Amino acid sequence: MSWISLEKATALKEKFNYIDVAESNGYVSVEVPKDKLISFLQFLKEDPDYAFKMFIDLTVIDHGQKENPRFQGVIILYSPEYKERIIVKSWATEETLPTLTNLWSGAKWAEREAWDMFGIKFEGHDNLVRMFMWEGYPYHPLRKDFPIRGIEDVELPSLNEVERGDQLEGLFNYSRMHTALPTLEDLEKTQKARMPKKKSQIVLNWGPLHPGTHGTIWFLFDLDGEYVQQCDIIIGQLHRGVEKIAENIGYQQFIPYTDRMDYIASINENHAYVVAAEKLLGIHDKVPPKAKWIRTMMAELSRINSHLLWLGTYALDLGALTMFLYTFREREKIMDILEGITGARFTINYFRIGGVFADLPAGALEAIEHFLKDFPERINDYENLLTRNRIWLKRNKDVCVLTEEDVYDYGLTGAVARASGVPYDVRKIDSYDMYDEVDFDIPVGEVGDSYDRYLVRMEEMRQSAKIIQQCIEKLRNDFTPDDPYFLEPEDPKKLKLSIDGRGLKLPQGEVYASTDNPRGELGFYIYNKKAAIKPHRVRIRSGAFYNLQVFTKAIIGRPIADAITLLSTIDPVVGETDR
Amino acid sequence: MGIKKVGLNRNVKPQSLVEKIFFLDFMKGLKTTIKHLFRKTITVDFPYEVSTPTIRFRGVHGLRNVDGTEADDFNSWIKKLKIKPPEMGETRCIACKFCQAACPVPELFTIKAEKLNVPEDHPHHGLKVLSVFDMDLSKCMFCGLCTQACPTDCIIHTDVYDLSSYTRKSWVLNKEELSRIADDFIARRGKEKFDEKSKWRQDQQIWPDYDTPRAKAWDGWMPSYTPNYINTQKGTNNSTESQ
Repeated sequence: MSWISLEKATALKEKFNYIDVAESNGYVSVEVPKDKLISFLQFLKEDPDYAFKMFIDLTVIDHGQKENPRFQGVIILYSPEYKERIIVKSWATEETLPTLTNLWSGAKWAEREAWDMFGIKFEGHDNLVRMFMWEGYPYHPLRKDFPIRGIEDVELPSLNEVERGDQLEGLFNYSRMHTALPTLEDLEKTQKARMPKKKSQIVLNWGPLHPGTHGTIWFLFDLDGEYVQQCDIIIGQLHRGVEKIAENIGYQQFIPYTDRMDYIASINENHAYVVAAEKLLGIHDKVPPKAKWIRTMMAELSRINSHLLWLGTYALDLGALTMFLYTFREREKIMDILEGITGARFTINYFRIGGVFADLPAGALEAIEHFLKDFPERINDYENLLTRNRIWLKRNKDVCVLTEEDVYDYGLTGAVARASGVPYDVRKIDSYDMYDEVDFDIPVGEVGDSYDRYLVRMEEMRQSAKIIQQCIEKLRNDFTPDDPYFLEPEDPKKLKLSIDGRGLKLPQGEVYASTDNPRGELGFYIYNKKAAIKPHRVRIRSGAFYNLQVFTKAIIGRPIADAITLLSTIDPVVGETDR
Repeated sequence: MGIKKVGLNRNVKPQSLVEKIFFLDFMKGLKTTIKHLFRKTITVDFPYEVSTPTIRFRGVHGLRNVDGTEADDFNSWIKKLKIKPPEMGETRCIACKFCQAACPVPELFTIKAEKLNVPEDHPHHGLKVLSVFDMDLSKCMFCGLCTQACPTDCIIHTDVYDLSSYTRKSWVLNKEELSRIADDFIARRGKEKFDEKSKWRQDQQIWPDYDTPRAKAWDGWMPSYTPNYINTQKGTNNSTESQ
């Protein structure tokens, strides 16, 4: 496990006598007083023995109204040199914390999110406005005293009702009371707050409902002629409060909700959550190997599926329409396989804490193998069409270069980080499931431009195909139909583990486990105060969220046409950025 | 620890002058396009052609009736929950509400059981019977957790997927409608999905072998449905077992 050892963390105590080191099943965390936080983090970042250069996540835990202090900041860092992670915690007394933006620019959005969701002020943050909600929204929804249904204080009759009066009894059986909604004035205020100072003449709005934005993202470009001087992104139109739902629902019951975050690669979302919950339960090593092989195989299949959609829409955005049709042909095959194995084409919900819910149906491995047989040829077709095409080269080469510093500074992960030359791959670092037994390469780019991001993802598809081939061979030769695909707990009274998940209790403790989503590192931070059927706090570290953040920096000085290229190569999914 | 470097001059050559002058890059792309011109059609001409959902497909729910294929512990569940023993053709639901407990959106179920109004000497005195079972499918995620929680294999997913409707009310299905949907599904494809004890069959197929429209997307290829695993029994494998 890629975590700092207890000895190494305790060694910090010699230098900083005010810190507390705690450990919960292998996850070491350090507690620092608020006023010493910045100097301590600076040491962690710059000291060659620790070198926690990479920003992973920042979040806040609400310990409940009765506690004092009530809020606790949680910072997760990664050291690329030692391949270790660390959690740094600090109590947010008087509901404030010092800002981290001077150390890592990536903390900017995370702090805005923490302010939006918990009402924690970050001292020194240059523009602490809301992240998902609009300006003027009165609540902080992730606080424990905010009800899960929301506060229904706006009356909102439907248009039908306005037209037809009260004749709709029984047909439209919903309440007229609605949770708060933004008005046009609110949106205008939001827009102004996001970009307080105009640098040039035109502010161009792109989205939120524009096909090129791949979802509901609202971009603001401050344009000088064709060139972007300043950029900001308003997201939150698809915010559904997934973290709040997770805190109010059983563990197994939450898996279908993860499907709806990154809906393009829902299997990988399931995977991250399942791995995190298993690690907190301490059963990840005991999960039957057959289930692990199936999960590895399905996750990679889903990665190919996701990358095919990315390639199709990316080429479509840049004007190569045929690409979209070709990739969807292959995607259709994967969808057929997924439908046959799991029963759903899109929102899969196949993985369970403890394995998978069913064995493979007859013909499954055969169908996957048939798909893989001509898949390399298909990728070659795609590359023939695009890779050396002069238009493609002109639109991608040296466009929006992201450097290695950007990767650490902004916490970029996934293909975006790898294209910038950082071989950061959670599959290798954490080797969850069977990733340590399969042989694959991490594709790494050189320059970090859009073209490299394209090449990296193309290579990733090839590597995924290679992994799936190994999984098929392993499954076919080493397992029998009688092998379990779901963990039978040794003592069913102690651990109520079932496929439908009723009564599953997770122990006290905290865990941060992540998997390599097609869109970057997807991490779940689960914090449990006491053993319970509902988690106390679930934080979803979305790779797409942090990757999208760098957009606002990388686009500066580039013409507006590059926005499409950059957005496509970053490849965010709004369901995951907004959660 | 494999790291594979990609990039211009590594695995992609930049355009040469010859390529630029003679438009070879476009020629190459056109070759792919022309190759595809002579391929068979892969699209399914919906609605004139419909591909059959796979047997595991999670469509509209159904409530199965008693048909003699109940699991062995069916009677013990009935006794435990004090339900009137169902006749042939009556619902299997025992109003245990496990489905509701397993559901990520529990408010979509309305399940009620009421005591039978019979005199004291009647054998069914004091026993209950299912009176209300409403599902609001507009709230349903079709995740399948309810079917996995059901102890009597009563609630199932069928292959019905066309759910559109003009009113919200018609998404609320009551127990009669659910039973009808299940009966219809069991009559059509019950044998394909369930064994004699109402459990999932071991030899379910990835997709039905009569599904020719789906095969179009696969260039006419159909799986031969050979077992996934070479070894059928434990211990017969000769390769090393991984733990």
